[in-house]
Amino acid sequence: MNPAVHLDGITKRFPGVVANDNVTLTVGRGSVHALLGENGAGKTTLMNVLYGLYRPTEGRVVIDGEPRSFDSPRDAIDAGIGMIHQHFMLVEPMRIWQNVVLGNEPTEWYGLRIDEDAARDAVRELSARYGFNVNPDDRVEDVSVGVQQRVEILKALYRGAEILILDEPTAVLTPQEVEDLYDVFEELTDQGKTIIFISHKLSEATHAADEITVLRDGRNVGTVSTDDVTSEQLAEMMVGREVLMERSPTEGSPGETVLEVDGLFAEDDRGVEAVSGVSARVCEGEIFGIAGVDGNGQSQLIESITGLRTPTEGSVSFRGESLDEVGRRERIDRGMAYIPEDRQARGLVMEYDLTQNAVLGSQHDPAFTDGLRLDWGDATAHAESVIDEYDVRPPNREATAKSFSGGNQQKFIVGREFERDPDLVVATHPTRGVDIGSTEFIHDRLTELRSAGKAVLLVSSKLDEVQALSDRLAVMHDGEFTGVVDPTTVTEEQLGLLMAGERLEDDTVDHVGVSRSNDGANSADDGEVSP
Amino acid sequence: MSASRLGAIRSRVTAVLRWFAGISGVDRVLIAGAALGLSILVGFFIVLGSGRVAECQTAAWTMPITGLGFCYNPFEVYFILFNGALGEPFYLWEPALLNPGWLPITLPWLGFMPGWSPFNNSFALTMSETTLLIFTGLSVAVAFRAGLFNIGTQGQLVVGALLTALVVIALAPVFPANRAGGVALITIGIAAGALGGGFWGAIPGALKAYADANEVITTIMLNFIAANIAYVLVLEVFRAEGSSVVATAYVPDYARIGPWFFPTTGNFAEAALLIGLVAVVGLYLFLEHTSLGYDLRVSGIQPLAAEYGGVNAKLTTVRAMTLSGALGGIGGSMWVLMSEGRWVESVPALGFDGIAVSILAGNNPLGVFPAAALFGVLKGGALQVGFQTDVPPELIGVLRGLIILFVAMPEFFRLIGRRFVPEETEREQSGGDGAGGDGAEGPGGAKAADNGGETGA
Repeated sequence: MNPAVHLDGITKRFPGVVANDNVTLTVGRGSVHALLGENGAGKTTLMNVLYGLYRPTEGRVVIDGEPRSFDSPRDAIDAGIGMIHQHFMLVEPMRIWQNVVLGNEPTEWYGLRIDEDAARDAVRELSARYGFNVNPDDRVEDVSVGVQQRVEILKALYRGAEILILDEPTAVLTPQEVEDLYDVFEELTDQGKTIIFISHKLSEATHAADEITVLRDGRNVGTVSTDDVTSEQLAEMMVGREVLMERSPTEGSPGETVLEVDGLFAEDDRGVEAVSGVSARVCEGEIFGIAGVDGNGQSQLIESITGLRTPTEGSVSFRGESLDEVGRRERIDRGMAYIPEDRQARGLVMEYDLTQNAVLGSQHDPAFTDGLRLDWGDATAHAESVIDEYDVRPPNREATAKSFSGGNQQKFIVGREFERDPDLVVATHPTRGVDIGSTEFIHDRLTELRSAGKAVLLVSSKLDEVQALSDRLAVMHDGEFTGVVDPTTVTEEQLGLLMAGERLEDDTVDHVGVSRSNDGANSADDGEVSP
Repeated sequence: MSASRLGAIRSRVTAVLRWFAGISGVDRVLIAGAALGLSILVGFFIVLGSGRVAECQTAAWTMPITGLGFCYNPFEVYFILFNGALGEPFYLWEPALLNPGWLPITLPWLGFMPGWSPFNNSFALTMSETTLLIFTGLSVAVAFRAGLFNIGTQGQLVVGALLTALVVIALAPVFPANRAGGVALITIGIAAGALGGGFWGAIPGALKAYADANEVITTIMLNFIAANIAYVLVLEVFRAEGSSVVATAYVPDYARIGPWFFPTTGNFAEAALLIGLVAVVGLYLFLEHTSLGYDLRVSGIQPLAAEYGGVNAKLTTVRAMTLSGALGGIGGSMWVLMSEGRWVESVPALGFDGIAVSILAGNNPLGVFPAAALFGVLKGGALQVGFQTDVPPELIGVLRGLIILFVAMPEFFRLIGRRFVPEETEREQSGGDGAGGDGAEGPGGAKAADNGGETGA
């Protein structure tokens, strides 16, 4: 029997970037397939290719053994593919049956009138067949998000979908609704439907899917059967472990403590606790690495340290002085350099040229201003030296930041921040999206800074990177450090366990700085990853 | 699927906005010129149409060949609009040589009016309007550059104007009644106007920064509050004795900003325009060449980057609104000290016109002068058209509105394009960092449909 979906060597290029690189994926009829990967791994792009939103640069889409070429979602729908987007596309004041039939209404009176009874019956019948428990006459705005999602699924089924694609279906659901969704999956597959869902959560994939395909950097890292794989292995596949890099030996012993974080709690933008009691310290002449799957509170922790976010509890101190009352500008002035996670939203003013960007963060620095006037001559010289030393291409300081490629934008930020002569460098994903040559260059600079006695706090989701560069390595999961380990002695298995939220009660692991959060070791949060 | 058709429309709109967002300075000048021409063309037919339905004894203009008569002559209207604003430096004549009998139309020829001097009343009126609009235009522009939409320039102008009038009248006895005393009083008056307007601008700034109150709403409300408080204060306390309107007493003549060359009846002073031009250049230097200006600009264009760069968002908001209010307040001072000589209840809507001036100028201080000048010409010219023709003032208002609408619209699209579309462009380009296309990963059906439209096209 032909597989329901066969994506054969799909490559999708956007200007300057390869979103999918020769991805081959096979999904059997009546199965649930999870597409797992971090943000930016190319999951949604791949599904948009399948749904006809993008045309693949290379490769072909085979549905039921028949090669297809989709020009638009309409073609995909005709081929029996339905997609449920993360944000629902429903008309809220309208009734459920109206939403379901919208665009494909059964009509009477020669197309002049919608056959309401037929539509209602069709929706009721579909709902009953799959055990959806949906009342066609409710208004969409009155029902819960879980039911709205079912309405979306009904819409796809009503249009004859045999293959359902769900983009991050659980992102908006409560835990109970997630369980209900899994039941819906079961009901659908029992009746021969095929489900592909996108997720970046391990627990969901292992719970709901029969098979899991992990994407990383646009490539298929592997397709595994849920029964044959552990959460740790999946975490490793997601984060990646490519070439093991050479460790540069630590020179001398760490000096004074530069940064100390004590029992820090912080919330994310939605007000949900994202950092739950993290303690750490970073000393002169060491690189302190934080590893972990993205979205486990690293961003909020870093923002609390750099002054972009106010922690709800706990404290941050710099060179022995508390930073509680210290604003972002003062932190920069005291010698904190920061390579931000989102270089295009924060690190650069996209509409400005590099000269203007060269003084971002130092616009009040005596090096560039006499207190009132900004000296664009000095700024120009500074921009040119950064462009020159950090090999920003093209070397044109008058071009706007947005005209540079991501890697060159990053090199410019790295250069600007390193040239501040800081005491502490906070580097978040410093080599994300940067080519290999520049990556090595940035790594060398980071180790140079360490040799020069600076403190470096490095956050990266690239395991090989943090392991090769760090002197001490913390692993973050669900807002806590699950362990602070010696990167030279820790094993892959141990790191995988830590990233999946397990804790190690092992002598090889150095638990420096996690005393506070250790109290509740192996508590509720582990439930999320064990299948 | 209807979403894909919708997506196609959306993507087309996005593409157009993106194009507008990306146009260069030269393009903008050319587009403004073309828009001016187009607006005149459209206005031409509106004048013709209205002239056809209106009733009159003799046709002001007869269309060649067809022989149709029209009550208003569109050529005359536009000629007077621009020529009148300058005090009529040109006149039209019809040389017989160029107009032989067999030609269906007569070709007019521009002649330079002998004895024309730029220092005439009509031109003074044009320049007076220009001067006042420079200040209100700068007021709106500086707020806009900080990402704030200050609709409250009108209120800030009212407060500044009242304070100027009251302070100058109160302090007049203290200073000698000569030129030196006048200069001192004018300086103090302008400072009072800046202070009053600045305070009135700081209120919505602080409300925005510390109470998260939308500045558009608060500034609109403060406009009403300013107008009514000022009215009641003048009515009950400061009304000049024997005045038939609600107005303060006149400031002494020596404390008014008077003209050097223009006739005094024109209510225009070169010195005031000079102060306006200094403000234009000063604000440009402030924005482009100071640390605080940099803070302000970055907050306006990319607030997240400003936060990253250590800019105190709250303080910057208050500062920008205070500066904006102060400029509006100085506009009020000029209105009192140059145009009216006192505060009267009928304050012209200079603050609201300032919004249009600022948008026309692309919120660039250097562009405010030409934009204000266009408004000044239209204002002065409209009055002349009213004097010299039978065209009703409402129709002239329509023609003015058309010109402003046409010239400002590309700039308006550009602002919208910069404000709303770049986010998507950046997202798409953030795919350029090789991590696998954040844009592609961006959730959201609307976005997906958008791309659908692009690929489908």
